[in-house]
Amino acid sequence: MEKLTKEEVLHVAHLAKIKVEDCEIEKYQVELKQLLDDVDKIKEIEVENEELLVTPVEHETILRNDFNTRKVEFNELKKNVPVTNGNFVEVPVMVNE
Amino acid sequence: MNNYLDLSIKEIHELLVKKEITPLDLVEECYTRIEKNSDLNCFITLNKSEALEYAKKLSEEPVEEENLLWGIPIAIKDNISTKNIRTTCASKMLENYVPIFDATVIEKIKAKKMIIIGKTNMDEFAMGSTSRTSYFGAPKNPIDKTKITGGSSGGSAACVAGTLVPLALGTDTGGSIRQPASYTGIVGMKPTYGRISRYGLIAFASSLDQIGPMTRNVYENALLLNELVGKDPKDLTSRKCEIEDFTRLIGQDIKGMKIAIPNYFVSNIVSDEIIKKLNHVVEILKNNGAEIEYIDMKYLDQAVTLYQIIAMGEASSNLARFDGVKFGYRSQDSHSVEDMYANTRSTGFGNEVKRRIMVGSYLLSGENAKIYYDKALMIRNAMKEEFDKVFQNYDFIFGPTTTTVAYSLDENLDDPRKSFMDDVLVIPVNMAGLPGLNISMGENENHMPIGLHIIGNYLEEAKMYQIASFLEEKLK
Repeated sequence: MEKLTKEEVLHVAHLAKIKVEDCEIEKYQVELKQLLDDVDKIKEIEVENEELLVTPVEHETILRNDFNTRKVEFNELKKNVPVTNGNFVEVPVMVNE
Repeated sequence: MNNYLDLSIKEIHELLVKKEITPLDLVEECYTRIEKNSDLNCFITLNKSEALEYAKKLSEEPVEEENLLWGIPIAIKDNISTKNIRTTCASKMLENYVPIFDATVIEKIKAKKMIIIGKTNMDEFAMGSTSRTSYFGAPKNPIDKTKITGGSSGGSAACVAGTLVPLALGTDTGGSIRQPASYTGIVGMKPTYGRISRYGLIAFASSLDQIGPMTRNVYENALLLNELVGKDPKDLTSRKCEIEDFTRLIGQDIKGMKIAIPNYFVSNIVSDEIIKKLNHVVEILKNNGAEIEYIDMKYLDQAVTLYQIIAMGEASSNLARFDGVKFGYRSQDSHSVEDMYANTRSTGFGNEVKRRIMVGSYLLSGENAKIYYDKALMIRNAMKEEFDKVFQNYDFIFGPTTTTVAYSLDENLDDPRKSFMDDVLVIPVNMAGLPGLNISMGENENHMPIGLHIIGNYLEEAKMYQIASFLEEKLK
């Protein structure tokens, strides 16, 4: 198989919450296939020890105590919010979708 | 015009102490040079008025004689959060994002009274090996402006190599400090994972990302690293380590040091001109009492596959936060939240980022997480064990940093795999969390720099600077 099907492209785009335009589908069919072929090589690699290395950290990672370390005013936070309404972050309707 | 920026940090410091110059002279010279070389496109955002104002203020204060970095200008990669200075990650998604807090490394830099000149260009969200995925256009290599700088810390590398700013911070997830350092002929260190707090670094692949110094020479690299390290309660992956001076071994003899060169690092994937330079380095080392052995190491040739799975997987998770709700870009004209997410992400992210997030989401979905991600983590563990074995018998692992010198800005544009293959020799270090350092071994016949990659054992950065500085001197 040289490329993914249209449905497969739309499936991975859906997983990633990315909208793919019709004119982009063909490009992704080829490019995603190339990358997925690459990562498929992992199946052929033999490994004796089945232990996972999630992170190179070996020390104990203790969470800090759960209390407020910093107070941030909403007005300060608000500067980076795309759309606000008073002291609220505004988004499109979420119900009845 | 003054040329103070051509001097070493030590020389500049002496002039500052003697009051022959002030930080304002240095900052003004930086901006003059940056403006003269604006075609290099090293910076996304300049911090000019604030930097000049701060330099003026510092110029009226007494010089801190013990602090060599006092009043020294520095450039910061644009994925490191800087309070009140726009931080874009070279993405449309964060084009107008102005952080309300400083990353821990920025707090440290400010505490030493260094002066932030601006935010450097990079690959979008640090995804790429050429800095060409930047929403703001690619930076150019100051050695040859038709060539790539490498990436993702391309702007940081170019501004140091072009002597626009003496010091810069980069970040390295799969070679993004060392590879552009190699392509531009500067010194770049990716320290041991956990040495430097990642708090305030906009995450790409959290288990691989590390901040590090990019400088013109080895001594100044060690000097800057001194100020960046330390346990940070805000980053639980940061390590508690003894306080040490990373410059302390510079100048000491290298006799008796044992160096391994994995055969894969000198195989036919590396160009002849680079092998030739490495052989020259090997001769120098042997003549000065170091022992070199060529060894076989398992899994090195699988590193790109591992990286693709781990980095794309982690990226798809980390970049889920860019949804258009609380900060960053939001696409208008969406009639539902679901629409808003998809529209925002499809127009806010560039192609490379979208491709990686899509593949990453796929790799982590359902059964795939076991088939791909868990398997990659098993091999990652095996790779780390291979490194541990080598370091039982050797002080360092050496190899070239890249397989070729920097290529043309218009070359390899349509190959989604090329950006991974450019980092084939440097990725294993991130997998194991080891420190890796690039220094220049010289140049090819077209004057393009060729980099040496020094891999050290965990927390042995000082020893790496020792041998790097020795070679730097011999290769002059």
